[in-house]
Amino acid sequence: MLEAAIFFLFAAVAVVAGLAILLSTNIVRMAYWLIAMLISVAGLYFLMGAYFLGVIQILVYVGGVAVLLVFGVMLTSRQLAPNLRPGPLEALWLMVVTAVLLVGLVLSILRVHLEQSTLAATNSVADIGHNLLGEFLGPFELVSVLLLVALLGAAYLARPKTPVLGTQQRKGAAR
Amino acid sequence: MISLTSYLILAAILLVLGIAIIISKRNAIAMLIGVEFILNAAALNLVAFSRHGVGALSGQTAALFVIVLAAAEAVVALAIFLNFYHTIATVDIDRGDQLRG
Repeated sequence: MLEAAIFFLFAAVAVVAGLAILLSTNIVRMAYWLIAMLISVAGLYFLMGAYFLGVIQILVYVGGVAVLLVFGVMLTSRQLAPNLRPGPLEALWLMVVTAVLLVGLVLSILRVHLEQSTLAATNSVADIGHNLLGEFLGPFELVSVLLLVALLGAAYLARPKTPVLGTQQRKGAAR
Repeated sequence: MISLTSYLILAAILLVLGIAIIISKRNAIAMLIGVEFILNAAALNLVAFSRHGVGALSGQTAALFVIVLAAAEAVVALAIFLNFYHTIATVDIDRGDQLRG
């Protein structure tokens, strides 16, 4: 029952990280709990035999997205950080909505009869590559265009609105 | 062997946690963290289905697309939040009411 123990370990880390983010008021700690959740989900991928996906999860999410979020925290001011704790009425609504959603989801999952036909782990990187360039060729091309658009859009949106000091001085000198 | 149901329930819990984070936080970056939770729950579902049932590797390939889309979404959202921060000097989303929305 080692597998079950590993599953519950990773699941517990992921859920505890979510609860910690929910209760925390410090944005930097939230980012680090997010990293804990991402690594435990990667561990679950490894447990399911999706080794390539687990590696990509750690590489892209922990190495890219989480670091990007930490940079976002650092680039926005800490002193003007908004009050992170919801008011009592908001907390009540939050609990009602999430409890109803969770109970509904879990009940519907338990009610559906799912076939338990575990497949052999056929997950070599070559198979995924063939799948990506065969069956999923259209989405693959679309995603490459989307990445280009996201790159240009992010660079356009994040550029400084007011001209930088150096360029102003240069303009003044030219005049 | 861990059953498919336990993976689905775990993904449901992660989804609900993500929604709760999005609802409760006012900081835009904290909301982005909630979105990452939701996307991870979806990817976990896809991988669990590909392990336990239909379509041998399609689930894993789709989860790969989810990861790529999450990265692109995080980049664009952070650029928008930086723009927001330059405009009104805070990341409190309740203060972004200039459009009277």
